[in-house]
Amino acid sequence: MMELLAKIAFAVYAILILGGGTIAVGAHSLVRALVGLICSLLGVAGMYMLMAAPFMAFMQILIYVGAVCVLIFFAIMLSQADAQGIESGTRRPGKAALSALTFIAPVFVIGFILVKFQPASISLPVEVPLITIGKGLLEDYPVAFELISVVLLAAMGGAVLLAFEKKGRKV
Amino acid sequence: MSPLLMYQLVALMLLAIGLYGIVWRKSFVGMLISVELMLNGAGLSIVAASQLTEAGNSIGQIAALFIMGLAAAEATLVLAIIVVVARRFKSVETDAVSRLKG
Repeated sequence: MMELLAKIAFAVYAILILGGGTIAVGAHSLVRALVGLICSLLGVAGMYMLMAAPFMAFMQILIYVGAVCVLIFFAIMLSQADAQGIESGTRRPGKAALSALTFIAPVFVIGFILVKFQPASISLPVEVPLITIGKGLLEDYPVAFELISVVLLAAMGGAVLLAFEKKGRKV
Repeated sequence: MSPLLMYQLVALMLLAIGLYGIVWRKSFVGMLISVELMLNGAGLSIVAASQLTEAGNSIGQIAALFIMGLAAAEATLVLAIIVVVARRFKSVETDAVSRLKG
């Protein structure tokens, strides 16, 4: 069984994740939604720490909180969203019911399967040394490693091409 | 309740919240935020499944790293698309951008 302290930490992180996620999808202002997303991402990083994967927690903070959230903030700024937030306006009828259904359906279906067929779990996770991850990336799965680099390069090149304003031609 | 199940339930809640948001949100930025939530749920679930079972530990973390790389690439592209859409339609509402013409 987990220690009491680990249980308390798990509860704190779970509250951080779920509360942040609720703010991220519910807030009228997009900047507030982004703050909720950051809370949620930090909670996930804490859970990685709890699972004895400190490298993953570090990468989570570095990539998600550091890079992706700044990108989303740029998207908020560049999309000329008004101060009230376009999220606060009226929605088409039936959208609330539809979104409630998309929330409830996976929770019940996957949750039922998860609880019904509980996977066997070890109580104390072991930390993987960093050298094992590096060897796995560069010796066991080098093609995937190179492909992810190519995907990133193509995405960034495509982004620059898309956002580049051509002179004299209406985009 | 086993520790693995608790982590998986949190990841499942992240997925469900993200799905809810992607239907409920009206702007592309809000939908991007929801997609990030769902990707985080996937990463959490994979790392939990590899750390808390007898399966190989390193491969789960490698898979989660790939997810992070894909999330970064996806966020970059969506940023560019949002910029283009905001310039052309003067709005990032999904209802306003429903015209399928080149």
